Amino acid sequence: MPNFTLNGISVDVPEGTTVLQAAKTVGIEIPHYCYHPNLSIAGNCRMCLVEVEKFPKLQIACNTVVTEGMVVKSDTEKVRQAVTGVLELMLINHPVDCPICDQAGECGLQIYYMKYGLHKSRFAFEDKVHKKKVQDIGGQIVLDAERCILCSRCIRFLQEVTGTSELEFFRRGDHSEISIFPGRPLDNQYTGNLADICPVGALTSKDFRFKCRVWFLRGTRSICPGCANGCNVEAHFKEDIVYRLKPRRNDDVNRTWMCDPGRLEYKKANEARLLTPVVRENGGLKAEAWEAALSFAAFRLWETVEAHGAASVAVIASPAFSNEELYLARKLAEEVLRTPNVGFSPRSSGNGLSDDFLIKADKNPNTRGAQLLGISEEKFDDIVRKIEGGEVKALLVFGNELADFPGERTAELLSRVPFVAQVGTNEGAVSLAAHAVLPSASFVERGGTFTNHAGRVQRFWMGFPPRGNARGGIEILVGLANRLGAGWTFAGEASVFRAIARSEAPFAGMSYESLGELGQIAGGKG
Amino acid sequence: MSLAFSEDTRARHERMLARYPNREAAILPTLHLAQREFGHLSAEAIAYVASLLGFTPARVEGVATFYTMYNRKPVGKYHLQVCRNLSCSLMGAEHLIEHVAGRLGVRPGETTADGKFTLSTVECLGSCGTAPVMQVNDDYYEDLSEDKVDAILDGLR
Ligand code: SF4
Ligand code: SF4
Ligand code: FES
Ligand code: FES
Repeated sequence: MPNFTLNGISVDVPEGTTVLQAAKTVGIEIPHYCYHPNLSIAGNCRMCLVEVEKFPKLQIACNTVVTEGMVVKSDTEKVRQAVTGVLELMLINHPVDCPICDQAGECGLQIYYMKYGLHKSRFAFEDKVHKKKVQDIGGQIVLDAERCILCSRCIRFLQEVTGTSELEFFRRGDHSEISIFPGRPLDNQYTGNLADICPVGALTSKDFRFKCRVWFLRGTRSICPGCANGCNVEAHFKEDIVYRLKPRRNDDVNRTWMCDPGRLEYKKANEARLLTPVVRENGGLKAEAWEAALSFAAFRLWETVEAHGAASVAVIASPAFSNEELYLARKLAEEVLRTPNVGFSPRSSGNGLSDDFLIKADKNPNTRGAQLLGISEEKFDDIVRKIEGGEVKALLVFGNELADFPGERTAELLSRVPFVAQVGTNEGAVSLAAHAVLPSASFVERGGTFTNHAGRVQRFWMGFPPRGNARGGIEILVGLANRLGAGWTFAGEASVFRAIARSEAPFAGMSYESLGELGQIAGGKG
Repeated sequence: MSLAFSEDTRARHERMLARYPNREAAILPTLHLAQREFGHLSAEAIAYVASLLGFTPARVEGVATFYTMYNRKPVGKYHLQVCRNLSCSLMGAEHLIEHVAGRLGVRPGETTADGKFTLSTVECLGSCGTAPVMQVNDDYYEDLSEDKVDAILDGLR
């Protein structure tokens, strides 16, 4: 463990740590553009210059490994002048078109200019070298070549992470320009990350382009619901509309990346939402208050059990729901309705594509959670058979589709059941057939945990309260159970998770505190 | 893809590859070979070199456009590269360039209508001791004067 001095502070760091990394651990900011924690070191932007005692010239902090007794200063006049100079050089040909740039508000040039620049431009706009703006280079990305500061992060990402090398610097000197080879657009499933790692507005997201100024957005820590990988993300929203997902660093799961399809998962929180409880009676649909809808659903479930016995009732859980919701769904089936019929299917209508990096074929965020909570897949097939045989008289379904069944098959199946209640977030074949639709919160509107394909239990946090009249799944389940006489006292996802940790072996010993931001592997490891 | 090396060039390329420690290092010499074979490096030629070495065309294009000795446009039968850097300028390169341009009726960067000559200005050719200098295809002509240049051009007719 070498010890060194940074701005007069004595710091111990593990062998091999660079000055830039070490500075971060003690809260000292060293400006940088080309350095990225999950990419190789390029050392080409020269923003991270620091003074190192006994070295005649300034050194780059990103590529200077700390050695015993090293004395480093990042707060001297010499460093400040150098950094200002580097910044001025970068801005020589920069168009400074912040008013029409999507990056404004989270731009490395703006941030460092306010901190280290504040110089007057010595170049007239007409003297600048101009390059091509608004180029669709494929994937989710738009390129504005004249905003590029030539840090090479994008090039390294495409070389080291996707291995597809679509982007390169062409020409040299102040004519250097980032671009694709003509006719060879970005061709990989991870292009959205380029907009994240580009420190300026050269690479921006087609999807997010001009939708919202970033300073109006607030964020919440979340988990991508797009597949079983469970990439850690941040969801950015304004009021109750979600605008984008950005990867959140978790080196055990997704490092700082996420896939392109996953990046668009936020749309499910905005579009085709079920926002108010609906009851179908005597052939007509009627929006209802929650009290009435819950009582109606509970009464019909109770009535069916009374008339045909508990085995005539079934619960189809969904791997798109949280561990907490799945646990309560199972508990409702087993302890309140006392039916053996509770199952789920990990099959879904998604494309089923996968790769050897992040994308998993299982398009559900919580299949592993459902399995670990003892909800069975065979039971799902069993329930479907019973529906076909007319044995199921009342059904509680979670989600908007049944396995990977086409809409007609779902409609046909559900038409055989006298009473269907749905807890779901989006419109779909199930909501069209249900007699009671109980609209549940999207992944940004509630908190909970998902268990990813590797058994990692990960928290997601509520960003804003449920839209419209939707409610969290826990609240809906408690409402149903208590109308059936359960007397549950759960309040909030934390209380449900405590119960899971007490009674479910794979989750033993876990708590929201122990999960923290990055999660824990079920079964005690990690 | 229609562009391809001849049998001979292919064999030369194979032998050449063996001398380089990795594929990256072989990009420059392969580009030279391609330039010789195809006259200039069109987008098609870049894509061909990329496929030969197993890179994306973007990576090879990045290398090719960094260097000035690769011709991205067709050049004439004789490529006249007149040095305009410091030593040569001190020794009258400016006049020399004007003289050549006047004789051929083209500006630097252009090719004569008959496709015979392309005139380029280049930076230091590394022969300052014998300035001013001009390179014609692979040959250097040194200690130039207007008379000498006239004689050289006459010889190339
Ligand atoms: S486009 Fe962005 S990430 Fe790529 S080199 Fe330029 S500034 Fe860096
Ligand atoms: S790999 Fe899966 S979890 Fe990760 S971003 Fe893509 S869809 Fe979401
Ligand atoms: S961050 Fe060190 S040179 Fe760019
Ligand atoms: S300046 Fe012309 S050869 Fe060096």
